[in-house]
Amino acid sequence: MREHRLGGRAAAALVAVIGILIAAGCSSSTSTSGSASAPAPSGTTVSTSQCGSKPGVKATGTPIPLGGIVTNQPGTSFADIANMANAYFTCVNANGGINGHPIKYYIETEQTNPAQIAGEAKQLVQTDHVVGIVGNTSIIECSVDHSYWEKLGFAIVDSGIAPECYSTPNSAAVNMGPRYSSDGAVQYALSQHVSKVVFDQSNVPGTGYIAAGPSALAAAAHVPIVQLTENVPISDANSVAIKEVDDAGPNGAVILNFTPPEALVILQAAQKLGLENRVKLWGCSTPCNTDFIAHELGPKWDKKLFVNAELTPPDVTTTSAMSLYKAILAQYGHSVSSGVGSFSQMGFAEAEILVHALESVKGAYTVQSVNAAIKAVHGFNTGMLCQLWSYGNYPMHIPNNMDYTVTPNNGQMTTAQGCTKISSVDPQIAAYRKVAGVAPAAP
Amino acid sequence: MAGTAVRTARARPRPPLQKPGAGTLTRAAVVAVILLISLFALPELLSLYYVDAMTQVAVYAMVTLGLGLLVGRVGLVSLGQVAVLAIGAWTAARLLFATTLPYPVVLLAAGVVTMALGTLIGLPALRLRGLYLALITLMLAGAITVVLATANFPNGGHGFLGYDASSVHIPPIRRPSIAASDPAYFRYSVIVAALMFLLAGVHIKTRPGRAWAAIRQSEPAALAAGINVTLYKLWAFALASFITGVAGGVLAGAVHYLYSIGFPTQDSITLLAVVLMGGAYSLWGAVVAALLLQLLPAVLHNWGVSADWLTILFGLGVLQVLTTAPGGLADQVPKDLARLGRLLRRHLPSGAGG
Amino acid sequence: MPSWQDFQPFIVSGLALGGVYALSGVGLIVLYRATGVVYLAFGAVGAMGALIAWSLVNASVPGWVAWLVCVASAGVVTLGYGLLFGPALAKRDPLVKAVATLGLTLVLFGVMDLLWTTGGGQSRAITLPTDNGGFTLGQIQVTWTQVVGLGAGVAITVVTAAFLRYTKLGTAMRAMANDREITATLGVPVRRVEAAAWLGCGLLGGLAGLLLADLVALDATTLTFLVISSLAAALIARLRSIALTFVAAIVIGLIHDLLTPIQSLSNYRDMTPFVLAAVALLVLSRRRVISLSREEA
Repeated sequence: MREHRLGGRAAAALVAVIGILIAAGCSSSTSTSGSASAPAPSGTTVSTSQCGSKPGVKATGTPIPLGGIVTNQPGTSFADIANMANAYFTCVNANGGINGHPIKYYIETEQTNPAQIAGEAKQLVQTDHVVGIVGNTSIIECSVDHSYWEKLGFAIVDSGIAPECYSTPNSAAVNMGPRYSSDGAVQYALSQHVSKVVFDQSNVPGTGYIAAGPSALAAAAHVPIVQLTENVPISDANSVAIKEVDDAGPNGAVILNFTPPEALVILQAAQKLGLENRVKLWGCSTPCNTDFIAHELGPKWDKKLFVNAELTPPDVTTTSAMSLYKAILAQYGHSVSSGVGSFSQMGFAEAEILVHALESVKGAYTVQSVNAAIKAVHGFNTGMLCQLWSYGNYPMHIPNNMDYTVTPNNGQMTTAQGCTKISSVDPQIAAYRKVAGVAPAAP
Repeated sequence: MAGTAVRTARARPRPPLQKPGAGTLTRAAVVAVILLISLFALPELLSLYYVDAMTQVAVYAMVTLGLGLLVGRVGLVSLGQVAVLAIGAWTAARLLFATTLPYPVVLLAAGVVTMALGTLIGLPALRLRGLYLALITLMLAGAITVVLATANFPNGGHGFLGYDASSVHIPPIRRPSIAASDPAYFRYSVIVAALMFLLAGVHIKTRPGRAWAAIRQSEPAALAAGINVTLYKLWAFALASFITGVAGGVLAGAVHYLYSIGFPTQDSITLLAVVLMGGAYSLWGAVVAALLLQLLPAVLHNWGVSADWLTILFGLGVLQVLTTAPGGLADQVPKDLARLGRLLRRHLPSGAGG
Repeated sequence: MPSWQDFQPFIVSGLALGGVYALSGVGLIVLYRATGVVYLAFGAVGAMGALIAWSLVNASVPGWVAWLVCVASAGVVTLGYGLLFGPALAKRDPLVKAVATLGLTLVLFGVMDLLWTTGGGQSRAITLPTDNGGFTLGQIQVTWTQVVGLGAGVAITVVTAAFLRYTKLGTAMRAMANDREITATLGVPVRRVEAAAWLGCGLLGGLAGLLLADLVALDATTLTFLVISSLAAALIARLRSIALTFVAAIVIGLIHDLLTPIQSLSNYRDMTPFVLAAVALLVLSRRRVISLSREEA
């Protein structure tokens, strides 16, 4: 009996201990390491007030509600993209807003649960009354919600992952997504005359769709390709690395398509096993494009690992847009934990596009007017991409189809190859170029 | 035989269903009221976000019902019910894509296939008891999860697996024509759940229920009383699998898109946690557990509270239940309310109106 | 069918993986032999210790201090749990005791994700000095950390087996796992013996967590649920023999990696621990009913 009650009190004691732990943790929690803080803007110093039309004037009109859905679960977090978009909107609100109207941005996070994602879309529309959707970055949201957005007439500006982000009329991405980014990595490897390609990706929804691009490229170049998938999270990186190297052979290339932590684990395992020089080169799709990975990998991978970079490398670019991006990140981007990097660049670009569209709206800001303006965006220079960006009224959208290749050098990612078009050998790219043409390169 | 001290389960032949007493009628009335509110009032009052959440509650109420039957009624702990749910969802999705069978038939088929698989696995596993049984269900669930990760869920493709890996336009899993909208599908899932609860209730009130109670009390004694322990345990497995399979079918229609990453092994642990917290011994406990599992996260998410707090709460809940309140919330709350009632009666002036 | 040459490197990596499984598996059995509890939170306490060590290293605390804190914190958490909940659950079924540790797992998992949030594309890593340097075996480099991992598994197996058999405290632990009440009446200070068992298991968990964070990944989810695969090894040994658990873990690791070059089975190799455990349990139970009620231990 005594022990019975002790158990109940024990539970209460445990609660108290946890509370103390949390309090202690909260007061000193930082979750990042390495190059997390934004460096000082290089080149011309730009004032953040340039983000808005009336510098220094706070917007006080009726808010324009926008929404975004991002994955945020243990192991995968795209919250930085929405947080950076929010930082941009905050800057705009402090500098005139949209004709005096501030933007109110509702961010919904999800844990890859289709019911939850569908519910959040309805929440944004019915409860928050959003007139535009921007910043969506999710493993499955495009698949789950695209019919809903199409039915209501929302034109999404997102960072796509699922196939439907690129193959449906109402979603246009600022990035290339896993398939076309992998295309870019494979394309670079093929340009270096490798004799075999091993393409390994994480076993999340859409592997066949992603693999089809590299397969087409390899077939056109008459190079054999081995398609592999790994269950994530990877618990045995050693066997993965050995298998990839064995399959590729000494004149082959291993191309990875994983989230940054998983790609890092594989590459580090390869290094620990002494395998990094057993193939001609290693490649990776865009997720590897972070200074964090360059720093963690160390010098053995300089000019050995070639990463496809969907967005303009921030460290070597000194345009005013890049400076503005870094300035906004420094001033308003406290919740962007990854700092300077592709995630925040995507958020910046998407927010830019929305503001540009909103500024062209005459009259009331309704679902119809706002999304018509978004679809009308044409030839816009985000400052973050190789090309000018357009939405348009097409059945599919791959507006970013030209990008860089970078390689680690002294703890940072540096350019290995400038803006290169993704080959039309990929049937989806060919289909898009047929309806939309090839966008001109950004100045 | 009157006079013998020990009455076994077969000593007195009883009619299969006794005439309901006053308590049963009140309970039935409460259930009916709740059902009516769910079917007619809730879809009007709640936003679509919460209607979707409540549909998930209905689905998982069936899952917790199945697990509650195993854990509470028979004393078998299964750490693999999410894998069973996945099998039911897979079967339903495959049939919905490949055939034009009406929805109730698909649900039944999903239930039957899951029941068959559950029984097949249950048969050899029943040699194990207690901790070993729980751990082997965990192992089997882990194995099924890996198979699912490789086979994936049907998405309109051809072949046995029905999975088209290169699809750029995954078609949604269809819903019954009478329940296409979210509120209508919510009503549909509530009705299906009510039927499953009725099925479970009938089992509990009749011979299987009594046999299970005897087995949970003491297996050797039940054996000695002439109860076919293996048969009734298998029956429990079969019933739980059937109900969970039907739940999987309803889930398929609710979410329209199924992914293997949505059925991780760790969810089975959370499922057991909420079943224990809600109360494994009563049917109400299953409903409470489902509310904890699906409605509470939706509410907290809306308020911006991290889902991690819920994980912590569930862990503490398990510890609390196992150490102090084995009946769970469904057992504890009525007791607490009764205690509160007594407290109020003592302190309120007697003879007060109303 | 791949050639012998193709299999060779996987033997080495398989042994390393087996060492990983053995660390946790043996740790699980140790506590089970001493308290009758299958400590399913073993992975979680190790993961949290490793994350604490990571935070300390990030705050420029010297490495060895951080590792000591890692091991100590795991020991403290486990001891705390054992003292708080051990007595309350002592008379219950082993099943109930195991499910209670699942509760602890959930709590720790939630706390870890709250305190060490998932950043945007960044991961955490622990590096031990034994990572630099190793030797070449066949065409593969083996780091000293992998050797330490395997060696630790062997050492723990041998030391714990000897401890439980030959020392007074060890014998007391075994007696208590058998029947706590009778052991108490025999004059053994059960509370203290139990506390020692919990503390020892926690320290082992911290050590395993540190090594696994280096060998596998410093990720709360991976490390917490790695225990399920290690549990498979313990189940094959029917939760009895420490040595058998070690051997089973090595075999699981070997088979898992040796399946990698076989195209048709490669994607299913993650099933290895589960299938082997299920088969072993079902085969072993063919003749007799296996149970762990209070009456039998």
